[in-house]
Amino acid sequence: MDRGLVTLIGMSIAYVASLLGLGLAWWSWRKRHGKDDAS
Amino acid sequence: MIGRMASFTALDIFWAVAFLLLMVGGAFLFYRLARRSESDFFLAGRGLPWWLPASSVFSTHTATDTPMWITGVIYANGLRGLWYTFFTAWTAIGAFVSARIFRRSLAYTQAEWQTQRFGGLGAELLRGWMAGWQLFMNMFILGWVGIAMGKVCALAFGWPVWVGLVLPSLITAFYTLAAGYWGVVMGDFLQGIVAVFAIVLVSLVGVSAAGGPTGVTERIVALGQEWRLDAFAFTGWLDGDFPIVWWLTMLVISVLGGFGMGTSIDWYVEAQRIQSAKSVRDSTYGLWAGGAVTLIRNGFWAAGILAFFSMLPNIADAADYELGWFRLGFELLPTGLVGVFFGAILAIHFSTISSHLNLGALYFTRDLFQRYIRPDASEKRLVWVGRASTFVLLLGSFFYGLMMEEITRWLIFALWLMMAGVWLPNILQVVWWRFNAWGYLAGWMANLGVSWLVVWILPAFGVIPKLPDHLQFWLLLALGAVVFIPVTLLTKPEKMDKLVRYYVMTRPIGWWQPVHREAIRRGLIVDEEETPAQARPLIRRSWTPKQAEDWTREDWIAIILSPLVFAALMIGVTKILLLQPGGILLVAGAVVGTLLIYWVIDPKLRAVSVEYENQQARYVAELESRLRWQEVGGD
Repeated sequence: MDRGLVTLIGMSIAYVASLLGLGLAWWSWRKRHGKDDAS
Repeated sequence: MIGRMASFTALDIFWAVAFLLLMVGGAFLFYRLARRSESDFFLAGRGLPWWLPASSVFSTHTATDTPMWITGVIYANGLRGLWYTFFTAWTAIGAFVSARIFRRSLAYTQAEWQTQRFGGLGAELLRGWMAGWQLFMNMFILGWVGIAMGKVCALAFGWPVWVGLVLPSLITAFYTLAAGYWGVVMGDFLQGIVAVFAIVLVSLVGVSAAGGPTGVTERIVALGQEWRLDAFAFTGWLDGDFPIVWWLTMLVISVLGGFGMGTSIDWYVEAQRIQSAKSVRDSTYGLWAGGAVTLIRNGFWAAGILAFFSMLPNIADAADYELGWFRLGFELLPTGLVGVFFGAILAIHFSTISSHLNLGALYFTRDLFQRYIRPDASEKRLVWVGRASTFVLLLGSFFYGLMMEEITRWLIFALWLMMAGVWLPNILQVVWWRFNAWGYLAGWMANLGVSWLVVWILPAFGVIPKLPDHLQFWLLLALGAVVFIPVTLLTKPEKMDKLVRYYVMTRPIGWWQPVHREAIRRGLIVDEEETPAQARPLIRRSWTPKQAEDWTREDWIAIILSPLVFAALMIGVTKILLLQPGGILLVAGAVVGTLLIYWVIDPKLRAVSVEYENQQARYVAELESRLRWQEVGGD
């Protein structure tokens, strides 16, 4: 398999996992601080 | 003679099983301690003396694939390949800088530390981001290391690869689930002893089989490849496959990386060891000694692998010569010792698997479940969530190992590249007060784009040539800085309340003057310069805890000497084993340097640690009384 393509796949999986964690933190923040106080 | 098939006798099987029972049983004995609290399940109650984290640092730096990787770089590049393995030298400065700062923060994980260093929404997003990243990383590493074990079992026994992937990992999960980090660190101690014994033994047997040190040298000289015996055989400043600029880049990445947190993938594992030590002093010595033993190990391995090369110099396929160290063990050791050798391979494997199972579970339990899903969860529930997530990680690792066997090599490459892009932000977040959460997050995001561009897209379309790894590193660093520096300066600094609290707690190194002045103004710290003038000796050996909180020349002596000691140990050990001139001098210099570092820094570390040790003693006493109450009253 092409090295560049594999690099792309590997990094994408890692970033999807990171974004899921970030999304959970965002959801929790909104729940705790209200939708209007996200800054 | 190398080349004969490995054979297991009844005596070999006895030794392998005996080691297995010793390591698993020894770790399982700590089941009772692990169930006391989240702190015990993940940090052994923060009460370990330095030599336990040290053995764990060594053991986790020694994975099943490590002998393959080191064999590969030494076989292909000769002794200069040792510099690839010098990335461990981040522990040289890290022991005296980042370990002290991180241990004082009392954060369980690097993700938790982000919310101490930064504040507001940005810090929370960073914590979630990093926890997700680490969950993936640990599962991936488990799969990668598991597949390496599958290949070793296929070599030794002819088993299908999946058997070697699944069976040893299941055994490891048994004691990791039950005994948590207590089991991991106690297992690592036993496994570390077994692993060191086997590495030294096999290297010596390998050199002996090649005709001794002179035999190895003569064979390589006869091949006309003397350069393989020289760790400094560079091909020029910029040209060739081993230029000096590559070497300097490696030194910068590894050595200066010790000023930051997360500059090496290994940081996240070792952060848990740093936090499990009973004091700042123990965390410093634990990380330093673990790193030093790891580099000495590389010296032994290099000599053995060079001997392997001298006997079989014409193996072209990397997949074949990477098994060289395993072949030395299986094919040269006499009956009985083959079983001991396999026991050592199991030890290496168990220590890595158990560490990453427990660490991945820690990130899920502490940084995702407790922080964002159930902040009010009881200690008992958290321990069970830790166990459940350990099991899920195990199953996930089987998926990665089996499904991604063919591409894991390039995935590792991809992940190292990702670390390259955030190397500088990982240092800046420690040493520069003005660096903020948005800048750090921007560094990660920017790296996603620029690493694809630099490594794949632009070379594929002919916009830039395909660059060597060291030039890719500098380009990624510069392109990332173009994004994260402006983002930092265009967004607000962290709130001063947050910064002062963090500063007083951890006393970080670097550019923190505005925060330092504010902490003095609030009466939280006293500037030593404002106290009555005292005659200061060149090297101060008597400290009060307050005096010891500042960074002084004693720290800088340790910071400068430490990487030199590490390099001298690694190169010196190899030279001694190959009877090359200068080996004894290098090792003797390293020993003197180590003693000097200890003499200079130990009084200060004791002073920094004394308050924390007292607090720790109170915490353990309180925990014990609560446990007794639970056992009597029942919960």
